[in-house]
Amino acid sequence: MSHEQPVRILASSAASRMIAAQYNRRRFLSFAAAAAGAGLLAACSSPDGSTAPRATGAALEDKLTIYTWGDYDDPDVLAQFTADLGPAVTLDSFNSNEEMISKLVAAKGTSGYDIVVPTGQFIPQMVENGLLAKFNHDLIPNLKNVDPVFLGRDWDPNNDYSVVKAWGTTGFVYDKTKITRELKTWKDFIDAAMNEASGDVSLLDDPAELTGLYFWANGIDWTTTDAAHLDAAEDFLVNTLASHVAAFDSYPGGVAIPQSQHALMQAWNGDARIGILESADPDRWQWVLGNPATELWADNWAIAEGAPHPEAAHAFINHVLDPEVSLAELDYIGYHTGVAGIEDAAREAGLEMLDLVFFTPEQLDMMHTGEVNDAQQRAVEIWDKMKAAAGA
Amino acid sequence: MTTHSTNAPVTMLDTPPARRRPDWLKGPRAALALPAWAWLTAFFVAPVGMVLWFSFGYKPGIFGTHANDRLSFDRYAEALSPTFFQTFQNTLWVGVTGTLICLAISIPFAYWLAVKAANRHRGILLAMVMIPFWTNFLIRTIGWQIILAPEGWFSGLLQATGALDEPLDVMFTRTAVLIGVVYNYLPLMVLPLFVAFDRVILPLREASKDLGAGRWSTFINITLPLAKPGIIVGILLVYIPLMGDYITATVLGGAKGNMAGQMVANQFQTAQNWALGSAMAVVLILTILISAAIAFLVAWLASWPLRARGRLVLGSPK
Repeated sequence: MSHEQPVRILASSAASRMIAAQYNRRRFLSFAAAAAGAGLLAACSSPDGSTAPRATGAALEDKLTIYTWGDYDDPDVLAQFTADLGPAVTLDSFNSNEEMISKLVAAKGTSGYDIVVPTGQFIPQMVENGLLAKFNHDLIPNLKNVDPVFLGRDWDPNNDYSVVKAWGTTGFVYDKTKITRELKTWKDFIDAAMNEASGDVSLLDDPAELTGLYFWANGIDWTTTDAAHLDAAEDFLVNTLASHVAAFDSYPGGVAIPQSQHALMQAWNGDARIGILESADPDRWQWVLGNPATELWADNWAIAEGAPHPEAAHAFINHVLDPEVSLAELDYIGYHTGVAGIEDAAREAGLEMLDLVFFTPEQLDMMHTGEVNDAQQRAVEIWDKMKAAAGA
Repeated sequence: MTTHSTNAPVTMLDTPPARRRPDWLKGPRAALALPAWAWLTAFFVAPVGMVLWFSFGYKPGIFGTHANDRLSFDRYAEALSPTFFQTFQNTLWVGVTGTLICLAISIPFAYWLAVKAANRHRGILLAMVMIPFWTNFLIRTIGWQIILAPEGWFSGLLQATGALDEPLDVMFTRTAVLIGVVYNYLPLMVLPLFVAFDRVILPLREASKDLGAGRWSTFINITLPLAKPGIIVGILLVYIPLMGDYITATVLGGAKGNMAGQMVANQFQTAQNWALGSAMAVVLILTILISAAIAFLVAWLASWPLRARGRLVLGSPK
């Protein structure tokens, strides 16, 4: 049992010993639990204090593993990186920050991932829990290319651990051949989901996006921790909306939009753009920015603690912060990359569907950043129950 | 099995007492099984023990996955709450229906393959059953997305031939999951059944015919009972992994085809709630064990008249 202490004994080691003593009689099971939990235990201990950057500018390793959101990098950019600098890139993707964090927590230092891409609000706690390694700024000179607006955000004031990768927002896409009226707001989305698009709706497979949907539609601050609001959200999502949902899909742009799998899909702007561009008949799809309120998320490049290829990781981050590379990324993923002057460059290059990438000041006013707070666990529970209820 | 009942009581008395081995020899012989025991302990008993242990704990916070300093059955109450319980029922439905469909397809096919098909074709036919296995499970399953898509070629074909009036609407339903699992697990049923039917040698069937049994009667009374071990293996090979499958359900079932395996995976991968995930895993294990036990009990009871009749015919001095 004592091996398990680090999981929750950060507060008081004296108390932990007492607890451990009480459970000595369960020695066998404790032993088994401790033995296999070894990796996890290390994962939960506090940062070891080794804050010195590990990459020193030595020769690049021959590999690089990136754990990121789906369809989130231009394959040509990755190929170019390998061609120019050597390391072969392996990609792995997740659906939500929770999923990525759970993997890192379960295998700190042994996950094998070099670069991870957390959303801003998750970064402080990831740092606190020792999941991220510090940058060596000397190896990322292209940091100078980033628009100062996107540097030094409150989740990482000195960009010690992260730098903006892309930012975007949440809205929805609908099939105009199946939904003939005009949808403008989250309320319209829900109304269509429960009427003409019932059984033909997909939602993002991400806890905060589900509770967010309810809060945005009902004029409630989506960072609320008010139990009454959360109860109401759970009741609506699990007991009312779930039965109308056909799929939980974080990337409808990948398959669902091109293959017209659903009539109505909650989506992130860049993914929606990919899907519409890939569709055989782009005109049948309508993108709607979440209204009257929606999310503003900012994903960040970060290096995982225990990254096996730190030099290559720094080189890659530096590579993608190059303005030209960044423009290629934007063209592919459809998200603002935060590099200075990218909007003008994109317009000059005549890229398609830029209204899904760049937003007007009025639209930006509707977007609000999320928070990782006491409601986090509750949101995960609601997500869990809603998924079970949708299959009932 | 029918012959045993006729002479078993008699021979018991005549059997000489088993030769006793000195005790010191027993130790080393048992040691031969040591690798197997070590393997089972390390990779079966210990993990299951851990899952059991975690299931009595709770989730302490966002960056912790489980804690066991307070033990309770609360996670089981959660796992069995109506919301999640429904998923176990759905899983059981898919598991039982899927296994039955596999069995219904495999019995005639494996019988034909083992008995009727020409010897020189058998190798190729078996290879055709196996070769899809060489392709990645996930890719094979995603392939069905394209076939079953409402605007896919299959849907178009059905509409063009007039079989359907509107686009095919099975994607993201439990039916799609059922199609997927039957496709994915069918070879696991065909192979043991093929081996079982193959071992029912021709002379036995000929003897049955010589004694006056028709084709159907031979199949029911001779072939099927002798193939029973293979059938049981096939059922278990299909039913157990099918109940825990979550890839097929994720790819083809969408939100409607949710299965228990997905719930467990969600707890470990996204919710990071190992305590609840473990409790769900234990409930899933119990569901499989209990349902399998019930199925075999039912099968045993249902075959009672058949066995009783067999005994009467062969054992009575008529």
